[in-house]
Parts: sequence; structure tokens; C-alpha cells
Amino acid sequence: MHNYTLVLAEKPDAAQRIALALDKKEKPRKLSENGVPYYVAKRNGKEIVVVPALGHLYTIAAEQKGRNYYPVISFKWVPRYVADRNAARTRSWLQTISTLANKAGAFVDACDFDVEGCVIGYCILKYACGAKEHESKRMKFSTLTKQELEKAYAEPLPQLDFGLIEAGLTRHEIDWLCGINLSRALTIATRKWSRKYVTLSTGRVQGPTLKFLVAREEAIRSFVPTPYWKIRAQVEMDGRVLEARYVNERIENKKEAEIIANSCKDKKGQIEKIAIREFKQPPPFPFDLSTLQSEAYSLFSFTPRRTLNLAQQLYLDALISYPRTDSQRLPSTINYATILKNLGKTEEYCKLTSELLLKQILKPNEGYKEDLAHPAIYPTGNLPRRVLEPSKRKVWDLVVRRFLAVFSEPAAKQNMKVYVKINDHRFHFSGRRILAQGWIRYYEPYVRFDEVLLPLTEKGRIVSVKKILLEEVFKEPPPRYNPSSLLKDMEEARIGTKATRADIMQTLYDRRYIEGERITVTSLGFEVFDVLEKHCPQVVSTALTRELEEKMDRIRENKEKREDVLTNVIGMLHQSLAAFKEEEQVVGEQLNDALERSKLEERIIGTCPLCKTGKLLINYSRKTGKRFVGCTSYFKGLCKTCFPLPQRGTVRSTGKNCPECGWPTVEVCMKRHPWILCFNGECPSKAGKERS
Amino acid sequence: MKCIICERESHTGKYCRLHKKACENIVRSYEQWRKALEVSWKEYLSQIANNPLTGEWTKEVVQHLLKSGEQAIVKDY
Repeated sequence: MHNYTLVLAEKPDAAQRIALALDKKEKPRKLSENGVPYYVAKRNGKEIVVVPALGHLYTIAAEQKGRNYYPVISFKWVPRYVADRNAARTRSWLQTISTLANKAGAFVDACDFDVEGCVIGYCILKYACGAKEHESKRMKFSTLTKQELEKAYAEPLPQLDFGLIEAGLTRHEIDWLCGINLSRALTIATRKWSRKYVTLSTGRVQGPTLKFLVAREEAIRSFVPTPYWKIRAQVEMDGRVLEARYVNERIENKKEAEIIANSCKDKKGQIEKIAIREFKQPPPFPFDLSTLQSEAYSLFSFTPRRTLNLAQQLYLDALISYPRTDSQRLPSTINYATILKNLGKTEEYCKLTSELLLKQILKPNEGYKEDLAHPAIYPTGNLPRRVLEPSKRKVWDLVVRRFLAVFSEPAAKQNMKVYVKINDHRFHFSGRRILAQGWIRYYEPYVRFDEVLLPLTEKGRIVSVKKILLEEVFKEPPPRYNPSSLLKDMEEARIGTKATRADIMQTLYDRRYIEGERITVTSLGFEVFDVLEKHCPQVVSTALTRELEEKMDRIRENKEKREDVLTNVIGMLHQSLAAFKEEEQVVGEQLNDALERSKLEERIIGTCPLCKTGKLLINYSRKTGKRFVGCTSYFKGLCKTCFPLPQRGTVRSTGKNCPECGWPTVEVCMKRHPWILCFNGECPSKAGKERS
Repeated sequence: MKCIICERESHTGKYCRLHKKACENIVRSYEQWRKALEVSWKEYLSQIANNPLTGEWTKEVVQHLLKSGEQAIVKDY
């Protein structure tokens, strides 16, 4: 076996798909060397060897050894196993690729067509295949379907996309420089103060993301609710009681609100005006990654990371197109009709697709976002060969129904507003209904619309007022971020890329800067942010990140040089780190205090339900070493509340109170079986559960 | 100098940056409360101390203000 074409795939599953598609008989030979699988396919009498990578096989490492210094400026690209202890497997992978490359006559890069895929392929061709990056051709595809892969192989791009590669390499290098230097600065400052090792990290994207979260947390924790009043009138019409709202939704003075409410009491109302508005709601846009992640979060509570993983699996199964896309456009070259016909083979979509196929022209309702490399996410038309696991099935069904919806008609809706005058004060109630379902029918059950039908009425009609309600309301604090809303804001601010945003969020959780699904910033998160803002304000500013993104776009278009961008970043880092080093001791103390506070916060379960001033804390007895829950006011001699805890398993605060008695609760986890424990011996939930 | 509530570093007075922000909000919002309900400073503080929507740091500052009996115009935070 020699003089074959070596095709590089990004992952083993993708390699298998490519080999299956390229082999004339769809039966490629599966071979393996050092435990690394590769496939030999035959096409037009020629041999093709398809070998997978394992994502990135090369990474950046410092030229100088040691971990106790900064700034780190000189770096090189090395095999991943050299820099990462956990990547030992990549050694055999690279050996196999090198061996196969030695006997190859031609090279084709078939990694995903995005920044990461380009960098993966380029590094392998350059370092493992003996500088073949300029000889290699490039396959460009958005789905792993046979048809598209065959076309991509038959008509490859003549060379790699070097603009995209340069931009990708720059992104990696800048992220590495910012990450390693700032993380080391934080970690070294902490260790010098406490002599304990704790990993603290930050980076070019992590910093601005933390800034978002800190700003929201500050607004919530320093919030002062202000009162206002709402007036509603219960109006009776045709035997139905409808609630009409006073036109001024917020009355900011109690006396004024009371005067209005009193003057409307025991008065009749008269229909003053009926405003009807009919409008057409166009179908939704096709899915780009962030919209899919947002939708999956609101519908199924899947985190953005989970949605991306599921979408990636569906892509590797050739069920949907490439998910890491910013595009909301569907080019006609994907052949809408064929996809619809194939989807129509299932009973579930048969009726909907046949209706769409009756249309003379299939035209999707496209969005404004575009991605040069890939179209929006769409189903390939392939049907699952076996039953999909439920979560994968949900995402696939969502993508399919969205695809169907974008080709359908707008929905026609009607809003109705009826104004009632009660003693010269204006109230109104609203109704809404669907006149024509349009795309809603195709996107069901993923679209919710509650119809509110109003009784027929006419102007001048006298109606009786049953009751006037005056309600005191308080302005609420801004909502906490959840993974989906954070992702949305990151995207709007152009922080990170579609592929990295979910991972950045996870890193913030892993470092314990944030916690909970409704995200709360911990003490540690606040201090790290404080330190960064004080000493390296550019790193946490969204402006720098946005500027760098723009520069990377310019590098991609060959309008800016990679070296110039790197020099600028290194200059900025030098300046910030020099200032940081001068204050290392102060920073170390500040971060250690925060770490201590953070550890204490983790032990706090909630407010003591007996003294109501102290906090319940997980403690360990000095005598016996056993753990228990005690009140912090014990040390002040004010409260002696304490409760025993199970001695086995892990115990952590749930952050929630018992729904029955309102006491704080903990989650005990023993042998992977978690249960919620309420301390209140007299809790109604425990009635009848006492041991005999 | 340390913050009198949380012992974080304070560079501008008796409160750290975070509690200072809460204190500023308390002072700023009093005007709205006074217009809405004609309440005194003390009544205002007690009301927001018991409101579940009040932020954690705001509550801490309110407790401190109630204990120390400070007046409405808090210039030296």
C-alpha cells in the first residue's frame, strides 16, 4: 500500500463517515496501528486512506521550562502530549499519521471547515506529515452525507484557506498568552501569600464574561425595591368577569392611586373604544448555533454545552448539518425538496412535508446573520437508523420542525384592545387570537401561544364594574443570568466564538467563580474580578476582545499581519504584568481572603430558623471529628441551635428552603444516591415517617 | 482601612466598594419612597430591611444604619 491519497479527518466518527462515502462499494477496510483506527477506501481504482485526528493534536507551550515565572512571551507549537499530561494518547496518533504520510502520494484536509478545523489540519500537515501544508487540497462540506462528501472530494479547494489558518493561529496564540500570563500571575500571588497551591485562572474571554456576571450580581445585591401601585377593574360582560388594567400601569404615589381607585368604586363603565390590530408574523429564521442553544435551553433546559454536544453527535451521525455556524441562511444548493421528500418518509413529518412540497417555490425565511463557511443548521434528510436516545431525538426533532417552519406561510394574528371609561378614568383589557396558523402548525409543540378570546361588544355599551383592586407592587431587581441569557449577551458583545462560549462558561463554574443554574457570582469571583480590573483593566474590558475579533477578521482577509497583532498584545501584557508584580503581595492577601470566604460560603446552609440572626454552618467537632450543623451566633453566646448530620457521603447546601416548613435544607449524597434533608424534626413532610 | 460590614478593603471611607454602592442606592431611592409614601428615613429603612426583593448588601447596610441610627444624608460612605 503506497502512493495513496491521505485524507485527514477531525474525529474518528467523521473519518468513518468519509471513508464510507468515498469507497465505491461503501465497504472500506478498517485497519489499525498502535490502537489508532484508519480506513482504506477504493475509488476509481485508486486507494484512499482516511485517518482521523483527535481534535487538536498540537498545542502551544512555553519555550522556557518551569511554571513559577511570568511573563511568558516565547512559545512554540508542540505535540499535545508534550504539554498536556492527560494527552498521552495523542503520541500514538501522531506516530500513525506520520507513518501513513510517508507513503502517501497526495494529501487532502477534510477537517471541519471552521477556524478550529483549519488549525487542526494545518498543524498535522505541517508538523506530522513533513510540511505538506502547501501541497494539500481542502475538502469543504457542511454535512457528512454521502452526496456532499463525494462532491467535496471530487471538487476540492486547490489549497488550504491560509487566511483562516492565520486568524486561527493568532487566536490560539493570543488566548494562550493572555491565559497563561494572567492565570500564573493570580496563582503565584496567592501561593506566595499562603504557601498553598490553588489554581486561579482568567483569560481574554473569561475576564469580560466575568465582568458581565459581576455587573449583574452587583445590581441585584445592591438593589433597593421602590413601590408603585397598579389598579385593576373587574368588569362583567355577558356573564364573564374580565380584568381591565388602568391605562397608567405604574402609579408612583399611594394617595394618587387611592383617589383614582375610590372614585371608580361602585360606578358603571362604558366601552369607549375598540382597537383591533391584525398582523402577520413571519416564520422564524433557520437555526444558527446560539439560537439553537437558547431554544433548547428554554424548551428542554439543556445547557448550551449539552446542546452543542448533542448537535455534534447528530452531525457525526449525518442527521444534521455542521452545528458550529453563525449563519441563518439556507442556500438553495442544499436541495430543499430532496430533504423534505426524505423527511416525509417518516409518518411523523409525512403530512407536513407533503403540504410544503405542493408549493411551487420553496423559499426559506432567512435571517440576516451569515457565515462564510457553513449554512444554517438543517436536517440532512437522512433518517436515524436506530432509535435515538431521548435528548438527541429532542434536538433532532427541534431542528427538523424548525426547518419545516421556515418554508411555511406567516401566521396571521389579531390583537384586540377594549377601552372602558369608569368615572372618567380609562382602563383596558386585551385579547388575542390566531386567524391563520401558518408556520405555527409546523413548529408545534415548540411554539406557545395562549389565545385570549373576548366577548363581542360595541362602543358605548354600559358594563358593570364588580370590583376595583388596588395593588402595591415593588420594582424587581434585574433577573439573574442563566446559561442561555449569558450566551446571548456574550454573542451580542462579540465575546468568544460560537465554539468556545459554552466552554468558557464551564471554566467559570469549574474555578468556582460562579455557581448555580441561575448564576450567582461567588466571593472568589468578585475578588478575582476586582484584582483584574484594578491591575489589568484592558483584559476584562469587552472593548479589547471586540477589537481583537475585528483584527482577526482583518488577518483572515489578509489586511493585517499576525505578527503586528501579537506584538501589540505582548506590549499590553508586559505593561499590565509589571504593575501586577509590584502589588503581588497585596493581591495575594486579597485573593486568599476571598478563598477563605468562599470556602466558608460553601459551608453556610442558610439563616438560622430559631434565632433568625445567625447562619447555619456545617462544622466539625474538635473532640470527635464528627460533622454537624451549628449556628454562627453560638460563638456570641446568642444561639445554641445545632443538628446532627449523616457522617457518610457528601453534604452540601441546596440553597433552597424546605417547601413544607421553610427551614434550610442540605443535599446528602451517598453512593451516588442524593437526597434532601430538612433539619426540622417537626416538619410536616416527616409526619408518619418516624421510626417505630 | 477595612469595610465596617465585610472587612473588605475600603479606600474611600467606611464602606468597601460594594457596600458603598448599596449605600448610594439606599440614599438615592429614599426620594422615591418619600414621594410615594411620605415615610421617614427610619420607616423607610425598616421597610426595605423586611422586603424580600432588597439586595443582600443593601440589607447589610440597612442593618448597620438602623443600629447606628445614622441620618438620611450619608455623605461619608
